[in-house]
Amino acid sequence: MAKVPMISYDSATGTRIFRDTFLTLWRHRELVQLLVKRDITVRYKRSFLGLLWTLLNPLLTSLVLWIVFITVFSARLPDGTEFAPYLLAGVLLVTFFTQGFSQAADSIAQGAGILMKIYVPPQVFAFASAISNAVNFSFGLVALALVSFITGDGMSWMFLLTVIVMLCMLMYVTGLSLMVSILYIRYSDTRSIFAILISFMMYLSPVFYPKDILSETMLRVVNANPLTSYLDVFRHVFSNTGVATVGDWAYMSFSSALIFIIGIRVFANAWPRTAVML
Amino acid sequence: MKALIEVKAASVTYRIRHGASPTLKQTVIQSIKREKLDVEIQALKEVSFSVNQGEMLAVVGSNGAGKSTLLKLLARVLPPTSGQVIVRGSVAPMIELGAGFNGELTGRENVVLYGTLLGRKPKEVQSRVDSIAAWAGIDESIDLPLRTYSSGMVAKLAFAVATDVQSDVILVDEVLSIGDAEFQEKSKERMREFFQGDSAVILVTHDEKAVRDLASKAIWIDHGRVMEYGEVDKVLSAYLHG
Repeated sequence: MAKVPMISYDSATGTRIFRDTFLTLWRHRELVQLLVKRDITVRYKRSFLGLLWTLLNPLLTSLVLWIVFITVFSARLPDGTEFAPYLLAGVLLVTFFTQGFSQAADSIAQGAGILMKIYVPPQVFAFASAISNAVNFSFGLVALALVSFITGDGMSWMFLLTVIVMLCMLMYVTGLSLMVSILYIRYSDTRSIFAILISFMMYLSPVFYPKDILSETMLRVVNANPLTSYLDVFRHVFSNTGVATVGDWAYMSFSSALIFIIGIRVFANAWPRTAVML
Repeated sequence: MKALIEVKAASVTYRIRHGASPTLKQTVIQSIKREKLDVEIQALKEVSFSVNQGEMLAVVGSNGAGKSTLLKLLARVLPPTSGQVIVRGSVAPMIELGAGFNGELTGRENVVLYGTLLGRKPKEVQSRVDSIAAWAGIDESIDLPLRTYSSGMVAKLAFAVATDVQSDVILVDEVLSIGDAEFQEKSKERMREFFQGDSAVILVTHDEKAVRDLASKAIWIDHGRVMEYGEVDKVLSAYLHG
């Protein structure tokens, strides 16, 4: 009979948070892969359109928004960029953020059935949820590329840098979710509070409006929102429908790294006292 | 003989709030009012024991004595609040089997996911799926979604996956009786093989006969404390008459 590889456990060792977290994640990388696959399979297995839905979903959402806002902004934004790719890019990235956050933050509470019986590092669930939303996002890029070509803006080789935006967003979503997942387990009312906070963040970023229409004060608020820097950079590199400054790049990288580090640390410290509440 | 499990003065303390699920609002109001509504529950108090290779330790005690908490401690699911827990080798937690099974996935996909959750390599489990399904007697439906299975079939499949490999440490919550008479005999046989191997086994049970037949030593826990620990006869008579 085959044997499971020898792993020893000693509750008294292990307080180097980052090394430990990444080491356990690396050891469970195949599990993360399977969980991502499960998330995607389960989401589309029973829908008639299957994987096609991943493309249709953001396209239809954008179409509705486009029809509504075209009366306000017309097909081209004040600075001359096409509105359709601008809008779809915003919808795709913000969906990655909001959906990724809501699923990843809840994934650990959802995994209680497993976590209370089998030893699995709980972070695995948050990482897997965030990654499966990154995969969804990359499916959506196909739709965005189509729209960019149809409207005539096209793309440049800069679009390869989208990988960096995706990675930063992945870290941002994971870090934020890890922190908030602790609150979700401890306090039942925090879910509704965060649903509101997240939609605040969404409306205070240029998802479906151009920044030109904002007043001086509002512009300051919107620019302080980290999401804005992600949107600016993404639009700039993917379809050249916006301007990204060095400041945007810096703010995006800095916020993702910071939130990621804080998230891992907060989670590792709080988990032992939170596990008993699952 | 090598000790595969060592528990040294391990305690587990829960802090639970009064009433139903706590809310942030409630917590903030309480801290402003300086009310203290947290209750400390000590589920385990300075528990110590060890289990060697090839030994089976039976855990007895009334409901709520802390047996489940003890299993969680050994399964690495809960960290001890104080003290130390050492587990050497792979752990097979035979506790409410089938955690993480998903109705939308096929039997095959579930087997691979469950096997991986239990710490095996997905590729290795993949190659074992057919023999696992055959042993559980559900080879025809292995590629159907799990929601089409009867609850008995699901339980058989979970048991077959969990016992597909011999682990160094086996945690058993009640001797399992799954499925029809024929399968029960088969599963008992497999458990017996498991128990006779080199593994260290923890058996939590209310079945006095099973303890006498199988265990090499026993521990009696009450209100989180160790009341008696050692020879099976000594512990059982203290538990039953004390």
